[in-house]
Amino acid sequence: MNQIRNFCIIAHIDHGKSTIADRLLERTGTITAREMKFNQVLDDMDLEQERGITIKLHAIQMLYKAMDGQEYTLNLIDTPGHVDFSYEVSRSLAACEGALLVVDASQGVEAQTISNLYLAIDAGLEIIPVINKIDLPSAMIDTVKHQLKDLIGCNDDEIIPASAKANIGIDEILEAVVRRIPPPKGDVHEPLRALVFDSVFDIYRGSIVYLRVVDGTLREGEKVKFFHNGKVYEAEEVGTLGLKKVRTGVLTAGNVGYLIAGIRDVHDTKVGDTITTATNSAAEPLPGYKDVKPMVFSGVYPTQAEDFEDLRTAIEKLQLNDSALIFEPESSTALGFGFRCGFLGLLHMEIVQERLEREYNQNIINTVPNVEYRVTKTNGEVVLVDNPSYMPGIGEIEKVEEPFIKAQIIVPTEYLGNIMKLCMDRRGIYKNTTYLDPTRADIQYEMPLSEIIFDFYDKLKSTSRGYASFDYDILDFRESDLVKLDILLNGESVDAFSTIVHRDKAHEWGKRLCVKLRKLIPRQMFEVAIQAAIGNKVVARETISAMRKNVLAKCYGGDISRKRKLLEKQKEGKKRMKQVGRVEIPQEAFLAVLSMDEE
Amino acid sequence: MASLYLHIPFCEKKCIYCDFYSIENSSPMEEFLSALHVEIDAYAEFGKQESFETIFFGGGTPSLLSPQQLESILSHLHHTYSIESDAEITVETNPGTVTREKLTAYRTLGVNRLSIGIQSFHEDELRFLSRIHDSAQALDCIRSAREAGFDNLSIDLIYALPDQTKERWEANLQKAVALSPNHISAYGLIVEDNTPLSRMVRSRLVSPKPPDEEAEFYEMTMSYLDAHGFEHYEVSNYAKPGFRSRHNYNYWKHENYLSFGPSAHSFRREAGESRRWFNIANLSHYCSALQEGRLPLLTEERLSLSQLRTERILLGLRSDGLDVKRLDSELPSSTTSRVQMIHDLVEAGSATFDGNVLRLTQKGYLICDEICARLM
Repeated sequence: MNQIRNFCIIAHIDHGKSTIADRLLERTGTITAREMKFNQVLDDMDLEQERGITIKLHAIQMLYKAMDGQEYTLNLIDTPGHVDFSYEVSRSLAACEGALLVVDASQGVEAQTISNLYLAIDAGLEIIPVINKIDLPSAMIDTVKHQLKDLIGCNDDEIIPASAKANIGIDEILEAVVRRIPPPKGDVHEPLRALVFDSVFDIYRGSIVYLRVVDGTLREGEKVKFFHNGKVYEAEEVGTLGLKKVRTGVLTAGNVGYLIAGIRDVHDTKVGDTITTATNSAAEPLPGYKDVKPMVFSGVYPTQAEDFEDLRTAIEKLQLNDSALIFEPESSTALGFGFRCGFLGLLHMEIVQERLEREYNQNIINTVPNVEYRVTKTNGEVVLVDNPSYMPGIGEIEKVEEPFIKAQIIVPTEYLGNIMKLCMDRRGIYKNTTYLDPTRADIQYEMPLSEIIFDFYDKLKSTSRGYASFDYDILDFRESDLVKLDILLNGESVDAFSTIVHRDKAHEWGKRLCVKLRKLIPRQMFEVAIQAAIGNKVVARETISAMRKNVLAKCYGGDISRKRKLLEKQKEGKKRMKQVGRVEIPQEAFLAVLSMDEE
Repeated sequence: MASLYLHIPFCEKKCIYCDFYSIENSSPMEEFLSALHVEIDAYAEFGKQESFETIFFGGGTPSLLSPQQLESILSHLHHTYSIESDAEITVETNPGTVTREKLTAYRTLGVNRLSIGIQSFHEDELRFLSRIHDSAQALDCIRSAREAGFDNLSIDLIYALPDQTKERWEANLQKAVALSPNHISAYGLIVEDNTPLSRMVRSRLVSPKPPDEEAEFYEMTMSYLDAHGFEHYEVSNYAKPGFRSRHNYNYWKHENYLSFGPSAHSFRREAGESRRWFNIANLSHYCSALQEGRLPLLTEERLSLSQLRTERILLGLRSDGLDVKRLDSELPSSTTSRVQMIHDLVEAGSATFDGNVLRLTQKGYLICDEICARLM
């Protein structure tokens, strides 16, 4: 156990996590430069590579002969880099004893880095600060050193200057991992306790569980038990994780590896759960298990009603690999049959939508996302509302509570004013400001989650020329003066457009939404009135005048087929629209709220 | 009832907006005519199966045909096909290509209807459209036609030219009506692909009228001609009672038509099958195919039931009404009910419905394509 080091890398997007990981793999001979191909090894989903973020966790084992002449087993555990996945991050951290804190020399410390760093410090990890990209002309090595010293209270000489691209500092990092990160603690003689920090579904093998053995030994052929639901499986295959799986049959305390046990349902292998042996079980699970709850909800509907079953199959398949995704069937008068899906956050939602379209070839319409509200009715009953259509009538509501978050924003001081205005507009409650250095501030707000799921991140970036970074934690539910805003087309309410907004913003929001819809809904045969209403009270109105002309002048013998084809095409276009009453609504309109302009 | 069409693919000069096939050099006329005779023979079997009630010479500029050339075609047609004695025989006529003598000869040969391409009475508009005649020639042409004994004249006009004012268009309508034609075809200018006009639009030399403004021109046309005793019987066609174009009306009623010449299109419903076939739009290929004993076909379409249905809907609504009952019995479909749609159209004043026939009003004609797509 003394020869094992388990660690992870904490870094902001683009600060070089993947390139540093690649260099470590190369230097330890785990992978050759030729195998590296074009892409970084740790990101293996297309989407991750495109977005430059790591969505799912993986781990890789390296063998390293250190300067002390001894050979060490280094397990690098990857962490997801986005706020939506902070619980997964915390479980990955719990599987480690140390972390490389990688900061871009030209960018400095970012919000995401700080929140993950705090998670790592809370988990008792040894932090090794690394300044990457020191060879860039824009590198501000001293400034960043200062930030790091303030942040973690380290000395100058503990900070490793590096450039993964230019191969600077890689040996120093490896040596620091061996010398400064403590070997795992744990007792091989205790009953088995292994922490699940990820699982991936394989259609042939079932769920592949990534785990860290804390106590005892995991052996093939033994019966193992999952603490959270008590289910028992036989360990079919056990091994460590190189570039590919290395079957070892045994994993002992301190090590990181995988387990295959014929588990057909990923929901049985939850991140944060503890695995023990079915006989001679451990008395207590490892601390920290949490059932992750979705925070953002949205309707997912097939563009064509007849594709409903196809969509169900696709979501079910996708869910096999994404235990955080939940869904249940729902129906909408406007959109027909579809599913209400729950996501960890907005990014998670976008990923699911894109994967459904790209990997599963589904044509889908997504409704505007919303958070979950806790509604106390006048009769004392408490209901959770994850779809605005299900909001009880105004007369039945005693109070509505909504989830609040603690937002942490790091921004150059020159944009402080802009950011504070933005947060105020989003009903933020100011908490405090800390200066990381004279030019950068760390501001904290408490805000309703619902206010950040619409374009907050984009606004944050645009008002700070891209410099602000942002992270959040869920706090609690708080009472707010919230109302349901409906959109009526020719007097008929379109449920898919309903949103829940703060009363003070309802007029403004309703007006903007009506204007936006007027632009997005094409002129029809008849005039279309667009109204926004709270209950029976109309708060905004726009009109789409009737179509004036749509006819081609001539139609001779030779034009008839051509004309027919044009109409067939027009008809196809209509099929992609949703018809509500007499009004045809294009798909873009359902996402109108997501891209509402501020003015 | 069936129709014959002959495409004469020559023009003295091509008009900037026209996308019909023609060439500006008429020296291969004789070669074309001999190929045309071969083609007329090639379909002789159809002549035994039904009789034809209309013959239409279109183009191109069919009035470039000399009386002798026209006579040889007509006599060949009469010889090969069963032509009804009261058949409507139309020649599209460009005012810049005819004299009273020529029109008299046409009349003698049995031509009984002229469709005269006047387009505008304003000289600058005629120049913009690159017509080869001026308005005086147009008036001459009408006079000569009357003197030659024609009592069934149609006038073609084009409206919504770029920068055209409503006053100028109204002046065109007034002048046209003052000439007492039996029939007027008035087309909104369409910018067709691969025409000089479309290139002018692309390079921003001209900008087409926005649809809402074009709609106003169209409304004006409909009311003006209605007020002057013309029946509006197709999107762009207006006739004095009894003077609808029998030929075009056959197209719109899904009747058979047989066509000859490059780019000509034919349609034939046979038991259990409907076909459209198109000739190649290239004169030398057309001629060489026929010389080598092949048909000059470009493509052939066999229409499915639903395609036929779509055509029936569009043709019916574009002309004087869709017989919904007949449609459902002849071309049944599983399409969902149209009852609400028809009700809404009638309520909005876009159509009338007598329980069988759905007929568009002026308001409905304006958005005819949209209504068709909704009813498909």
